[in-house]
Amino acid sequence: MIRPVLARRERVVPATQAAGFVLGVVVALILGAILLWVSDHSPAEVYERMFDSAFKGTDSLSRTLERATPLALTGLSVAVAGSMGLWNIGAEGQMMAGAIVATGVAMIADGLSGPLLIALMMASGVVGGMALMIGPALARSHLRVSEIITTLMLVYVAIRVVEWLETGPWKDPESFGFAVIEPVPEQAALPGLFGRANIGMLIALGLLLVFWLAVSRTAWGYELRLAGSSPDTARYAGVSLRRKVLTALLLSGGIAGLAGAVQLTGSAVRLESGLSNGYGFAGIIVAALALMRPSGVAVVAFVFGAVQVGGQSIQTLGVSSAIADILQAMILFGALVAVVFFNYRIQWSGPGGESSIAESGEPDLAGEVA
Amino acid sequence: MSEAALIGLFVATVQFGTLVFLAALGELIAERAGVLNLGVEGMMTMGAVSGFMVGLETGSPWAAFFAAAAVGSLVGGFHALVSVVLGADQVVSGLALTIGGLGLAAYVGRNVVGERPETQFTDLGIAGLADIPWIGEIFFDQPPVVYLTVLLGLAVWFVLARTRLGLAIRAVGESAPTTDTAGHSVMALRSVAVMVGGAFAGAAGSFLSLYMAPGWTEGMVAGRGWIAVALVIFGAWRPGRLALGALLFGFTLALQPRLQTFDIEVLGLDVSSISPALLGILPFVLTVVVLVIISWRHRHRPSVAPAALGLPYRREER
Repeated sequence: MIRPVLARRERVVPATQAAGFVLGVVVALILGAILLWVSDHSPAEVYERMFDSAFKGTDSLSRTLERATPLALTGLSVAVAGSMGLWNIGAEGQMMAGAIVATGVAMIADGLSGPLLIALMMASGVVGGMALMIGPALARSHLRVSEIITTLMLVYVAIRVVEWLETGPWKDPESFGFAVIEPVPEQAALPGLFGRANIGMLIALGLLLVFWLAVSRTAWGYELRLAGSSPDTARYAGVSLRRKVLTALLLSGGIAGLAGAVQLTGSAVRLESGLSNGYGFAGIIVAALALMRPSGVAVVAFVFGAVQVGGQSIQTLGVSSAIADILQAMILFGALVAVVFFNYRIQWSGPGGESSIAESGEPDLAGEVA
Repeated sequence: MSEAALIGLFVATVQFGTLVFLAALGELIAERAGVLNLGVEGMMTMGAVSGFMVGLETGSPWAAFFAAAAVGSLVGGFHALVSVVLGADQVVSGLALTIGGLGLAAYVGRNVVGERPETQFTDLGIAGLADIPWIGEIFFDQPPVVYLTVLLGLAVWFVLARTRLGLAIRAVGESAPTTDTAGHSVMALRSVAVMVGGAFAGAAGSFLSLYMAPGWTEGMVAGRGWIAVALVIFGAWRPGRLALGALLFGFTLALQPRLQTFDIEVLGLDVSSISPALLGILPFVLTVVVLVIISWRHRHRPSVAPAALGLPYRREER
């Protein structure tokens, strides 16, 4: 029987994750076009609208950057944990926790001047994100409880708490009976750059730069990566794994919390249950596509920002914005598969295996994936 | 608290328990074969929407149930293709499956939001037993999916513990190279395990959209797929303990919407005065607390997780 097997390429295709990402985008666009076509939409028209709304003119571009900002921060959050092999999939909840604490602080300190209040709210955002992460981080570092499940579970907790605050303790008395929280003080709004883009974008870029330097250029970053890739070596070298796990996860939670504070003061008017808007979950895909590297996070966050702005814009054509979520997941799948094929090729192995012997000089058994 | 309310609580406990047990049982099969599938929430959601739509179209809850199982197995097959056949990272593929599955379900179901099915599963009053006070109503007057799930649980236990196929599945979850050497196809065993697991998750999703909360809304699975993933750890990868855990979580899920209506006090605090949003955090907090307690109790013992869980296998690289 002749069947296909994966064989490691003699010469690995000299393509990088970047090429995988581009191929992923292509694959996603093709699959998305098929989906649109079978549901009686014109893929060309939909894609054109998406592209224009995300890139055409400074206003469109500013919307893309506005959305890329929280994605870059949550992507970085996931990447910081990911650089030591941990998965923070609760950035969605930590964003909320950050926004909750920042809102609380703004309610108390609403007399402060703009810059001071903003700085205080950013710091409270970090604290909020870390607070939601402290349980999962300690459970992971001391008891090896899967951080994947605990961080995710707390997402639901954070969102429910916002719903509670909306309907109860923080309900705006001047909201005519609507269950909404008072808007943040006017002076707390992040200064704009152009269009809808604000300095939150610069905060995100600065933080990406800091982490790129810290992870790739410092002993701390080296230990972090070492602890992730070979814990035994790290332990032998005297690195405290527990402390590294704690630091990585708490930083990850803090950055996601900051994303919440940036979103609150930059784009949202008030704390509401839709504030995190899936950014935390999309951040997982962003970080995975970026292979946990800050530079990659910036690029992928920008592309995903465009996909999401595009997804919103096609609603006027009667197309569901869920297309954006589908495209994002498909980009990741496409890139995963593309990268596999950079390193492996399909080989048709028969009972004699002549073809493989001729090509690789080895019996085909060695090249099979059973 | 009235007797009817209490019985209602336990009836719902069995149903919520069934929901998470069915999904967790599927995940257990995949994980025993060494494949972590974090796409349970996505597979359940796809099952919920496809089951509901087939139910609307055909009027047959069974057709809907099996269609949802087929869709779940197809979505699971995608994870098998990417992570088992091609050997990509299981965590990344599973998470993408959940995010993509939620998106695709929202897209596919956009036109049936708010519709109501005409027919659904009817409770099976088991002759003679259903009339027993309390016990009858709680255990012997449930929809057929409940009994089917119990049978599936027994079947999974039997296959895993008592058959050659089960031995091969458990072996491939402990060590793929050894199983390969023994002449089994690692790829086939793992792929089938993931697809069967997907079928269970899809079917569970349709139980939600057809019977427990008839209808389709985005995000209706609401984290219960993730609770199923946690349950597998709670159940120590064994069907029997999984069932116990499912009842515990089923009780919490059933309790949460009812707590407000119960006239009880906890530590001097009137429960009915607590906001429903705050009570909604109970199942999720419980999951975290339970995982921590288990790990605390087992902290000096070696892990009971399948040894090869999460590790892709390529023969040439062993």
